[in-house]
Amino acid sequence: MHIPDGFLPLWESALFWIISLIFVAKSIMWAKNNLDEKSVPLFAALAAGIFAIQAMNMPIPWGTSGHMVGSALTAIVFDSPWAGILMLTLVLIVQGVFFADGGILAMGANIFNMGVVGAFVGYYVFKALKKSNVALASFLGGWSATFIAAIICAIELAIGGVFPIDKGLMYMGLYHFFIGIIEGIITAIVVAYLKSAKPELLKSLNTQ
Amino acid sequence: MDNKILVGGLVVAIIIAILAPFLASSNPDGLESTAEKVINEEALHKNLQALGLEEEGTVAPSPMPDYSIEGMGKVGEVIAMIVGTLIMVALAYGVAIVLKKPSSN
Repeated sequence: MHIPDGFLPLWESALFWIISLIFVAKSIMWAKNNLDEKSVPLFAALAAGIFAIQAMNMPIPWGTSGHMVGSALTAIVFDSPWAGILMLTLVLIVQGVFFADGGILAMGANIFNMGVVGAFVGYYVFKALKKSNVALASFLGGWSATFIAAIICAIELAIGGVFPIDKGLMYMGLYHFFIGIIEGIITAIVVAYLKSAKPELLKSLNTQ
Repeated sequence: MDNKILVGGLVVAIIIAILAPFLASSNPDGLESTAEKVINEEALHKNLQALGLEEEGTVAPSPMPDYSIEGMGKVGEVIAMIVGTLIMVALAYGVAIVLKKPSSN
């Protein structure tokens, strides 16, 4: 879902950089107030895992592929959407700077879609459902994060004039409906693993 | 500090990094697929011209575009993925150490 440079007009790229930097600044404040020393290795381990699995595109129908995003997972593990935003900002910097995955000018929009939208949607869907079933809540958190981020992405590209709104929404929605299933499954697997192996690190299950 | 989880996570990530070049689907992703079907070429051309780009991509050159190293084939892709994973873990660890809340002792 990485928007390359050239898809968005310059003014829109600049606008989303400004919006995203406000969220990134808030995520830095979150870390300064909430990220404890014990969680640092887990944050780095998650970063490595998300980076590696993001780069491995998995096939979905219609000759299309999809990849992990990981902001919902990070937000669930650290019990805060701000953690997901900080994580995706770092992942997108490495992807954009070293691997030309997503444009540098479009990075603000990519941080907004995959980081901000993904983390908030994923976190609050999980939070709303976790009492009934943690695995299902994790799956739906991951799925909805990807799906809604793709819808927002389609709207941005329509505002920028490169996608028609109706077809853009239809195809982005259709493809990411399926890509979200991959996101949901991986999110549920990692949450289930941490719940059984390292429950003390899974912050969102330790607070009400 | 629980460094076991860091080592464990890194081992899993490196295994994925080694396998990814062989397992990853080469099909376009959801956004690229959509773009192939619906993109307004005129608007794209106008935006590219404004940025001085020939085609969509990035305004700053990257050392390992598309997770590959020129002329090195699959080996280069594996190296790029491992290098990326190490950069990622170092950056995330460094940023988290710098930003973490002050310890309460």
